[in-house]
Amino acid sequence: MSATIGVLPPVSARRRRTDRVARALLGLATVVALVPLVLVVYYLLKRGLGAISWHFFSTDPTGAFIGDPGGIKSALLGTVEIVGLATLIAVPIGIGVALYLVEYGRDGRFAATVRYFVDVMTGVPSIVFGLFVYITLVIGGFVTDGYAAWKGAVALALLMLPVVTRSAEVVLQLVPDALREAALALGAPRWRVVTRVVLPTAAPGLVTGSLLAVARAAGETAPLLFTSAIVLGTNFSLGQRTNSMPIQIFNDVGQAQDRLVERAWGTALTLVAMILLLNLVARLIARRSRLS
Amino acid sequence: MNIEETVKTRLLLAASLGALALGATACGSSSNNSSTASSGSSSSGTVNGAGSTFAAPVYQQWGSTLKDKGVTLNYQAVGSGAGVAALAQGTADFAGSDPALAAADRKALSKGPAIQIPMFFGAITVSYNVNGLQKGLKLDGATIADIFLGKITSWDDPAIAKLNSGVKLPGTKITVVHRSDESGTTKGFTTFLAAYSSEWKSKVGVDKTVKWPTGTGAKGNDGVAASVKQTDGAVGYVEEAYALQNKFTTADVKNKAGQFVEPTLASTSAAGDGLKIPADLGVSTIDAPNAAAYPITSQTFVDLYKDVCKAGMKQTDANALGTFLNYGLGEGQASLNQLFYAKLPAALLAKSKAAAQSVTCNGSPLSGA
Amino acid sequence: MNARGRSFLERPLRARLPDLWMRWILTALAAGILVLIGYFFVRLIVEAQPALSKFGVFGFTFDNNWDVSRSIYGALPLVVGTLITAAIALLIGVPIAVATAVFLTELCPRGARSLLTILLELLAAVPSVVYGLWGVFVLIPKLKPAEAWFGRTFDFVPFVGPDVAGPNYFIAGLILAIMILPIVSAISREVIATVPEAQKEAALALGATRWEMIRMAVLPYSRAGITGAAMLGLGRAIGETIAVTLVIGNAPQIGHTIFSQGYTLAAVIANEFGEAANNQLHRASLIAAGLVLFVLTLLVNIIARAIVARSGRIKTVGAR
Repeated sequence: MSATIGVLPPVSARRRRTDRVARALLGLATVVALVPLVLVVYYLLKRGLGAISWHFFSTDPTGAFIGDPGGIKSALLGTVEIVGLATLIAVPIGIGVALYLVEYGRDGRFAATVRYFVDVMTGVPSIVFGLFVYITLVIGGFVTDGYAAWKGAVALALLMLPVVTRSAEVVLQLVPDALREAALALGAPRWRVVTRVVLPTAAPGLVTGSLLAVARAAGETAPLLFTSAIVLGTNFSLGQRTNSMPIQIFNDVGQAQDRLVERAWGTALTLVAMILLLNLVARLIARRSRLS
Repeated sequence: MNIEETVKTRLLLAASLGALALGATACGSSSNNSSTASSGSSSSGTVNGAGSTFAAPVYQQWGSTLKDKGVTLNYQAVGSGAGVAALAQGTADFAGSDPALAAADRKALSKGPAIQIPMFFGAITVSYNVNGLQKGLKLDGATIADIFLGKITSWDDPAIAKLNSGVKLPGTKITVVHRSDESGTTKGFTTFLAAYSSEWKSKVGVDKTVKWPTGTGAKGNDGVAASVKQTDGAVGYVEEAYALQNKFTTADVKNKAGQFVEPTLASTSAAGDGLKIPADLGVSTIDAPNAAAYPITSQTFVDLYKDVCKAGMKQTDANALGTFLNYGLGEGQASLNQLFYAKLPAALLAKSKAAAQSVTCNGSPLSGA
Repeated sequence: MNARGRSFLERPLRARLPDLWMRWILTALAAGILVLIGYFFVRLIVEAQPALSKFGVFGFTFDNNWDVSRSIYGALPLVVGTLITAAIALLIGVPIAVATAVFLTELCPRGARSLLTILLELLAAVPSVVYGLWGVFVLIPKLKPAEAWFGRTFDFVPFVGPDVAGPNYFIAGLILAIMILPIVSAISREVIATVPEAQKEAALALGATRWEMIRMAVLPYSRAGITGAAMLGLGRAIGETIAVTLVIGNAPQIGHTIFSQGYTLAAVIANEFGEAANNQLHRASLIAAGLVLFVLTLLVNIIARAIVARSGRIKTVGAR
């Protein structure tokens, strides 16, 4: 490569112009890349703010064809339930696998294989996870068939798992070996080193990674379509079919009625605000962290 | 049984609890109902239905009324095909389906013998959104078929002009919108088209979903309505309630007797007059011979297992299902008109009621019915 | 470590038990992931079997006939739709993503860099369904005149024509471009950051302008990594479901131009799965579509990872 550079002629006006144009284009492309974000946020505020009121958050969708369409209470609570359970499943397992990779597996062949497949899992489309959970849990006959909130949570957990694992692995690797060695030298058994030294040191980073995974899962629609389905009413039983915000939006988008479309925008605004908040919190925690 | 009394006391209970909780605001009662219901006595319960989007406006409206009777009705408007599938898979307690059960459907419903109960009729309108074109464009079966075959591609096509002398037709390109899901509305619509176009019959056929030669697919009646609404030059087929709600311009369609008939409540009801009722109640109101009848009128059924508890329902939920059927074939019939659906003719209604009474839970009749 | 040293340092078995437990539990978890993926794959194949044995793997994937009413399932229109939309996404998304990466790493003033980076990452935080909503009610109506003009003016270009359907391949591709932008940009940034300073300084020392330095030192060095990033973007674009379902038009046929309606593998699953439950062949066909999707994304990801891994030591690929 360096050979092709050779000796360059003095900087001519033409070369200077090319330079300026190219740099301007690169800057322009960056601006262009941000245009969709601005537009999406603009339309969310413009069309969504009008829908939002106390009534919007405090009533379930009524499903009535005429009259009051109701709000999104069941969708909001459903999303919290489903994503909450998914987090409870994915975070311990994800961190556990990451601990294995960092503390035990290291550079072994088995660890490398696991690492590779975890990476591959990040590329699996979310609808395929939904399909898998449908085949095994909704109609598989292993458990009571039918839609349920917890099955949606499992699908989301599958989606979150590789994200949690990989981010946790990166953070755990940042914990200085000196700390581990010091603790081991003091005679602490391995499990104490992990629980008392490694995990606390990495905690902020682990929380950040988990929160980012939660933010990603909260907006997912496809895995929930045929695992937790849609209902109108609020329910707190994880064995029942349960509403969620992405599904509510997906359903309302396909409606011709302006009042339902308005609700879709309002729900979208709420969902995006929630996800941005999670992102923000995650970043703040990351900034506080001693590692990185 | 003194159902009315229990209902009344329940209403009072719900209202008073609502008042307690929200400081005497009337609107509070609806959100509190579910909690009162779940702790209440036998006829409160949850019914999960799925299926026809054609019938969805009615079930949803009934659902919000039934809420006051302690019945939570979750109706997923996913299309007739998906509804029957959900019933077969046990993810729904009843299916809303527009076409009568076919042999294959009955085979798939493996949790016991299934029955179908006719509920009401509705008109499938040919709705269009064309700048400069008024309501009441005259169309016949063959022309509609050619439009949906992609052979007629603009609104000023001679075939359309011939039926509408004196109407100034714009040259807008036609955008066909059809259903992408398995739909009873599609079955009704294609049944009608196949009766008037041999090309339709051989090339596309009649089913809940067909291989459309042209156009954009949308999910549900509402999806088609949304697409039609957003596109100038679009034409789609949607149930009348959806057309009215979106103030669509609808076509007058030529019926079997040769009349161009506007889809109205009267012309939809007329399709049910003198209807032949087969033993399994699998009626069809498409292309009725009556001169006043709107030709693309579809019936809709509730499909369910004859013994709902053996198929997996809980006793309390089964009673709620009974309440739902009872209401739908009773008071509910009267409420149909405001949504522009037609109630069942008396002869058929009697048979539907008898069928509803025959539904059992572990052998004994439903107490809600 | 060395086994000899252990004898006197070794703890009694009881004290070692928690250690052993933890080790085995963690190992089991890790192994569980492999088992899960294996089971996943096998189960998909088993469930797709009725469709694959009836139409054959080749027939299923490459027959141009998806006709639910006649129980014929040839997924070519879906495969083609998936590839067309993904190609459009790459054509639009990758150049912009790479440009942002170059700008942020080489040209951007330090103060603005972190802000712009965060904003770019926020693009990935917007849920798919929200992009779909925005696409249906904003992009489709607003872009239609522009598409029609473009179609008329460039009618002579293959796959461009004046007939514009509201929802179409191009709109879907455009939304996908926006959705893959953050990941392609992020990985490109990481790749570009690995270009040795010495190499860049050498170019500048030879009298190159900033752009010439980028063109001659930065881009060639990171070409492989950027290719890998684009491939990962491709993987995302192929599997994206909900946004595409809302704006693709749901017509199972191969459109004539990029402004025609179409269908994709993921969208057909989302739309038809609910009703396919009791039709064994239909369900198997949709699962087979999922399998094709799975294999396609798997291949793309494996190739992408191989390319990225070769081009440098980037550990966090895709873990976001």
